[in-house]
Amino acid sequence: MTAYITRRLLYTIPIVFGVLLLTFVLFTLVGGDISIEIAGKGATRETIEEIREDYGLNKPLFLSWDSQFVNHFKNALTFNFGRARDREPVIDKIKRGLGPSLALTVPIFFGVVIISVSLALVAAFVRGTVWDILAVVICVAGMSIPYLSFILFGQYFLAYRWGLFPVFFSPELRMAQYVALPVLIGIAAGLGRNLRFFRTVMLDEIRNDYVRTAFAKGLTVRRVLFKHVLKNAMIPIITRVVLAIPFLFLGSLLLERFFGIPGLGYLMAEAIGSRDYFVISAMTYISAILFVVFNLITDICYSLVDPRISLE
Amino acid sequence: MKFVRIISAAATYKLQRRYGIGMSVRPILLVTIICAGLIIAGCDGSGQLEEPNEMVLHHVLSAKIKGLDPGNMRDVYSVIVASQMFEPLYQYHFLKRPYQLVPLLAEDMPQISDDLLTYTIKIKKGVYFQDDPCFGSRPAGSPPNGKGRELKAEDFVFSLKKIANIKYLSQNWSIFDNKIAGLDEFREYTKTCKSEADVDYSRQVQGLTTPDDYTLIIKLKKAWPQLCMALADTATAPVAKEAVDYYGRDIISHPVGTGPFRLNVWRRGSYIELVRNLAFRGELYPSRGEPGDAEAGYLDDAGKPIPFADRVIWTVIEERQPAWLLFLQGKVDATVIPKDNFDEVMGGAGELTSAMKQRSIHLKTFKDPSTYWLGFNMAEPVFGKNKPLRRAISCAIDREKFIELFFNNRHLVAHGLIPPVMPSYNPEIKEKGYAQYGPEKAQELLKEAEKIHGGKLPTLKITLPGTNTWYRQYGQFLKRNLNAVGLEVETEYMDRPTYLEKVNTKSVQMFTSGSSASTPDAQDFLAMFYSRYHAPGPNKFNYSNPEFDKLYEKAQVMLDGPEKRRLYRKMELIVLEDCPAAFLNHRVAYVLHHDWYKNYKPHAFAYGLSKYRRIDTAKRAAYKN
Repeated sequence: MTAYITRRLLYTIPIVFGVLLLTFVLFTLVGGDISIEIAGKGATRETIEEIREDYGLNKPLFLSWDSQFVNHFKNALTFNFGRARDREPVIDKIKRGLGPSLALTVPIFFGVVIISVSLALVAAFVRGTVWDILAVVICVAGMSIPYLSFILFGQYFLAYRWGLFPVFFSPELRMAQYVALPVLIGIAAGLGRNLRFFRTVMLDEIRNDYVRTAFAKGLTVRRVLFKHVLKNAMIPIITRVVLAIPFLFLGSLLLERFFGIPGLGYLMAEAIGSRDYFVISAMTYISAILFVVFNLITDICYSLVDPRISLE
Repeated sequence: MKFVRIISAAATYKLQRRYGIGMSVRPILLVTIICAGLIIAGCDGSGQLEEPNEMVLHHVLSAKIKGLDPGNMRDVYSVIVASQMFEPLYQYHFLKRPYQLVPLLAEDMPQISDDLLTYTIKIKKGVYFQDDPCFGSRPAGSPPNGKGRELKAEDFVFSLKKIANIKYLSQNWSIFDNKIAGLDEFREYTKTCKSEADVDYSRQVQGLTTPDDYTLIIKLKKAWPQLCMALADTATAPVAKEAVDYYGRDIISHPVGTGPFRLNVWRRGSYIELVRNLAFRGELYPSRGEPGDAEAGYLDDAGKPIPFADRVIWTVIEERQPAWLLFLQGKVDATVIPKDNFDEVMGGAGELTSAMKQRSIHLKTFKDPSTYWLGFNMAEPVFGKNKPLRRAISCAIDREKFIELFFNNRHLVAHGLIPPVMPSYNPEIKEKGYAQYGPEKAQELLKEAEKIHGGKLPTLKITLPGTNTWYRQYGQFLKRNLNAVGLEVETEYMDRPTYLEKVNTKSVQMFTSGSSASTPDAQDFLAMFYSRYHAPGPNKFNYSNPEFDKLYEKAQVMLDGPEKRRLYRKMELIVLEDCPAAFLNHRVAYVLHHDWYKNYKPHAFAYGLSKYRRIDTAKRAAYKN
């Protein structure tokens, strides 16, 4: 297993290099020069040139030891992301946004997974009954309603009309207070899609011969569902769940924007809008590393839950 | 957990009897209880840590602020916040109209030499910078306790030199470019320095001298009558050298000013809180205003010491719904009317609906000094030589429909480039130019245009600086109007930086844009048509007219008065005749505020107005309850 993990970690080098190259090419060759915009209205050519020098935009793109790409690569490897366009260190922005983003996305993630897997087991077990049909109808309805509608509805009725939650972030509030409603909305909006997926996975398993055999041997429903069905359904569940974890880091743009949560989703969207290459580059780089690491964790988890899979 | 077990046992019993399952409900119950916990935790939305009689202003910013360093910021949101902490030499009178400059950090208005080249400005004594660790020595390990020092004339010189320093990359250099004697040479010197920190600020600048601590003398290269207006811009507010040395590049997050408030909390991107600056010298609320101010209650606090507020809070809310709901909850004092809520707010005849009146909400409208247009790139072969084409496009746009569709009829049709609020606005401009909607006239002009072009006109392109729904609708509207008179048009939508790059490199045909004046002098608008300022300068139309240039150069050095205004109007007419842009609309702001929010008189040019605002705390508490 050690050899496998080492090999997989070595594979990350070309992947991360590719990500760095791609972001660099996209923002320098395709995106163009940002110095005119930084210089502001009515700026002289010399100011624009000075900005180009300050940001290193006047250096060669590739073919030099001091080229823009080599510097970009060096900075990424040392996690020195420099300063954003508003002159604040990028790493400070990320550190500040990480807490609020995770406070939002982690409860949503666990809430959605636990509820949808549990309900999927029940729905699969009672398949064909009115409860199963009702679950499917609710799933389809939940998937059909746009995410924004959940937010607008939740904010208007639960927060404003019924006063159950604060409408918006305020520093006087505890974190649990201002993330409570966005978390509930996130869970409600994500449930339909996940429940439908997990129900299909469970149905595939529950129809297998070994389930009938287990019941024939006299095992209890609880034992069959949790000991056998759930364990055998773990491969697709792990794939979906573990690979979703790196995205928690990216936060939730809409929820953060509507509820004033100063997280990373908001930061990333704003950086894209204002072409803040320094922030985008840092976020993409960190996301790529997390994605590669969690891909590896997924593979390791496969071998843990399914003895037929070995890491060689 | 015991509670979870009891509840789940009950549920298990029921499910076991029906289906023979039990354990699977436990995780569901666990999550349900966590969610219930979140609800209970979230229930106390009104738990503000605000003292009952504390006067706190609650404002909304619709965009994040970029920094709080006055020398290097131009975005309006940063200026709004920074203006409560930093003070320039002059300010606009809060109440008087037409807008009038009055001293702020200056003792009086400047003494101006007969040749209009030398300004002698006396600085107020007893003005102190706020207390900050940057002042005084700080023993290692001990808490900072620097007392703010007194403001001196040299601080203004330092601040202007800082803007001139090319390594500082100030966005405000264009204000002083080629204006003050010796300052351009100082800028040249800074080019030889390796970094911002290497610049020697003790180096003399001929046009900036301080004979004593309270006198500043500014010598100009040529007459610049707008200097006092420039010295009322927050960009020229003094910053302490100690603060710049102490915080370095982080000065953007550590404002150290002389104003009535100082920064207490800044959660970047979400929340800013200012508290009273205890070192503030004190100022009095104006005792005189314009006719009608006393009746409107704007003089109720005449002569009282300001600021009234203990704290000023801005919450950054980019979405309209939460800002509107917070306003209705009484957690925000004032707001603009969201487009989608316009019918809920405004009844017929431009009045508030009864629902709004019942809440004691007031409406203020005021003309914003702004103009928006569809510009033509005159350096582009199809447009540059074809005046009838440009005029035809201007006639083809139904501006009234545009304002009805996009702004709930709130804006004004722009017949010219100078907005109505400016003293040089021409009241007869409606009769001039090509802003009257006339599709038939446009078709006639297009026949002429085709003759000049030498055949059928090609497909024209409009470039818009946004990709969201609003810009797409805007593009569709323009396209439909031009299609209606027989022009083939396509639209391209892009992010603002790409758009700016294309406009600055003269790679567009038609482009939508607009501008808002920062002073009552219309020079900023007219500069956009001066031939020396072609893109990437302010003249994005790349328009040239020698007659216009001559008048511009003449008016540039004139003091404000009827003659200067006459020249401005003449220049405007030249532009309208040549039609390098189809002027579309002037913005009119509609602002709502609660009854408890006092002294809320809109101002087109001043930003540091929080010091005048007062809250009737009893009324606010009654509304919330």
